[in-house]
Amino acid sequence: MDKILRIDMGANGGPKTDVQPLGDYAGLGGRAMTSGIVAKEVPPLCHPLGENNKLVIAPGMLSGSAAVQSGRISVGCKSPLTGGIKEANSGGQGAQVLARLGYAAIILEGKPKDDTLYKVFINKDGVKIEPDNSLKMLGNYDLVDKMKGAYGDKIACMSIGPAGEMKMSAASVAFTDMELRPTRHAGRGGVGAVMGSKGVKVIVLDDTGTTFRVPKDPDKFKEANKAFTQGLKKHPVTGEGLPAYGTNVLTNVLNEAGGYPTNNFSSGQFNGASKISGETLAETETARGGKATHGCHKGCVIQCSGTYNDKDGNFLTKQPEYETIWAHGGNCGIDDLDAIAMIDRLDDDFGLDTIEMGAAIGVAMEAGIAKFGDAEAAINLIKEVGQGTPLGRVLGNGAAVTGKVFGVERVPVVKNQALPAYDPRAVQGIGVTYATSPMGADHTAGYAVTANILKVGGDVDPLKPQGQVELSRNLQIATAGLTDSTGMCLFIAFAILDQPDTFQALLDIVSGFTGVPFTADDAAALGKSVLTNERNFNFAAGFSKKDDRLPEFFTKETVPPHNIAFKVSDEELDQVFNW
Amino acid sequence: MSPHFIFRAAYSWRPFNEAIILNNMINVKLTLILEKTPIPIFYQLLSKGFIIHARTGCSIKELLCEQFGIKNDYLDKRIQTIFLDNKTVDDVKSTFIRNGSTLALSAAMPGILGATLRKGGWYAPMRREISHDKDIPSDTGKKGKITVKLFNLIVRELGPLFLEQGIRVKGEDFYDIVARNENIFMAGCKKAIKDGNDIDPEKLIEVEWEGKQVLLQIKATMN
Repeated sequence: MDKILRIDMGANGGPKTDVQPLGDYAGLGGRAMTSGIVAKEVPPLCHPLGENNKLVIAPGMLSGSAAVQSGRISVGCKSPLTGGIKEANSGGQGAQVLARLGYAAIILEGKPKDDTLYKVFINKDGVKIEPDNSLKMLGNYDLVDKMKGAYGDKIACMSIGPAGEMKMSAASVAFTDMELRPTRHAGRGGVGAVMGSKGVKVIVLDDTGTTFRVPKDPDKFKEANKAFTQGLKKHPVTGEGLPAYGTNVLTNVLNEAGGYPTNNFSSGQFNGASKISGETLAETETARGGKATHGCHKGCVIQCSGTYNDKDGNFLTKQPEYETIWAHGGNCGIDDLDAIAMIDRLDDDFGLDTIEMGAAIGVAMEAGIAKFGDAEAAINLIKEVGQGTPLGRVLGNGAAVTGKVFGVERVPVVKNQALPAYDPRAVQGIGVTYATSPMGADHTAGYAVTANILKVGGDVDPLKPQGQVELSRNLQIATAGLTDSTGMCLFIAFAILDQPDTFQALLDIVSGFTGVPFTADDAAALGKSVLTNERNFNFAAGFSKKDDRLPEFFTKETVPPHNIAFKVSDEELDQVFNW
Repeated sequence: MSPHFIFRAAYSWRPFNEAIILNNMINVKLTLILEKTPIPIFYQLLSKGFIIHARTGCSIKELLCEQFGIKNDYLDKRIQTIFLDNKTVDDVKSTFIRNGSTLALSAAMPGILGATLRKGGWYAPMRREISHDKDIPSDTGKKGKITVKLFNLIVRELGPLFLEQGIRVKGEDFYDIVARNENIFMAGCKKAIKDGNDIDPEKLIEVEWEGKQVLLQIKATMN
């Protein structure tokens, strides 16, 4: 992983490639790489769909190695949804394959002279770019089938669906999983629209003839990887809960906590939660011959995914994530797992962020476009997005646009990005992260529950009532530095929180692989550096502290069962990045 | 995890069983003999909540360990997330059950939310607005009704045992489960006994369940 591939889509005579050494970007991976490049090379005031924006695709620093859980890939750019810097990441095979091909990043630059659509093929022998207008408006599933026919089944694909081609702000970049299905998505912030603006429909990767990336200290790496794997397997969350139920295990628990946003954030509890819970989902999948335990990429030992079959036992979609089931389920008053799974399939096929689409439909339901709980109407609305009807174009540009078009006040967005599945009035510390993350409302921005180990941003006494701001700060630093940049799956967090030896094993994996000592302090410094880059970009793009706020209704409206509003003051929010 | 690691042998769970039988508000008593395969479909009932009679005015720890006979170690290590009346619980010794309380039990959950909701965890301040304050007991020793909810790994481990003892649920909730899983249920139901009389499992769909309280007992066949 010692080179960067730049593809100038606006070059005279057609797209031109340039393979460069890493230079200033040496040692970076994942979010550190994407945000580093965007902050340095993209003019903050450029139009997100214009020639000056760049789409950066970067595997984590450990991706392509034998390190378990190292299959996350980051996609960065200036976001058409937020107008600020964006990093969205995904599982699937893309990270491992791209890293084994030796690329630390692919950068799509410039803008095509016309509306020709291109496909990019990369293998160990080089890069080939071809125009292929036969791919226009293909869904991701048909597209991948076509690529399989052309290049065989030993490939991995990164692609956009019709939503990306139509440059919708909710468009995702899809990554294929181990079964070569486009089920994994860098969903947030409209990264798919930026790929569409570059005229690239699909990047096909074939790592035939390559091998695992070789660690600098093989013995240390191997031993640490073994200890890390054992740590993940023995922990009840990573070794039992996630494999058994997937991330949707949170539905019942959040609902019980009164923090499950229902009917467009108008209640904290959903009466139909048990029908769409992780427990019910797993039982349904198993009963229909699907899998309740499955990985999204090779080298995953947690196996939090699965396969969801329809009533006849035919594959419909992968096991939808908690956020997807919430967004299209409780947030829209829908308690029908089959309908939610169908919408997930459509989202994946059209190339859409499930969180943004669920939020947009929730806002549309509040506006009276459909009734809460009407699953058939929700499916039809998603189809309108895929078809690009006027209503579909409104919805496909996210909850904020939908709210403006239909005059809805209760629009759950920060920096125009929809809030995920935790009500910030119940769990106010997460509301702090939603408000202040440079990414817009993002549940993964403060996810690496290792802050107490890293001791970043100062110690926090968990027994004192204050501390939400400090905890959010620490979590955001730890997430940016430890998981988003290494390519490690976020779900390693609990095992390294509870088991110091597992945390040490992770640090040893990094240092064993790079040959350079990597300590908790190094991770914290990297996290601060990433966040500083991102915030500086946003300030230069016109953001101010006024953008680090939750929507007003969270501070005014109370919802059952707790009937409390968001109480963290603006002054406290402004302290999050004071380190 | 076997019952050996969950329950204290000296207690079995007779007190709980007696509490249910004492309930005089039951409209229908239904016993099902099922193969193992369909039993998990009824876990939804346990997650949605079922009513039991127990001595109230006691701490959560006393209810679970003294009345239900759950081992201290299981409570400490396995039941990592607890809600009482929708509020997160940090200290099981100083949080008290009242008549009408709803108690929900979960294993450790993933991610930042899991860490935040966990009992006594580092990230508890992030949800302090919904944390259960320490309180003082009332109605000590009196019998009352509480609703219990079991989630995820806890329902998988405690669920069969609670079902075998019998749980009180709404008739419409029972019907909903059977109707949505009719094929699996009918294929695995070996015997059904309604109010002391055998009933063809297929006829259960035709019973009017709306508005009825059901004492549902589910036993697994030996094979």
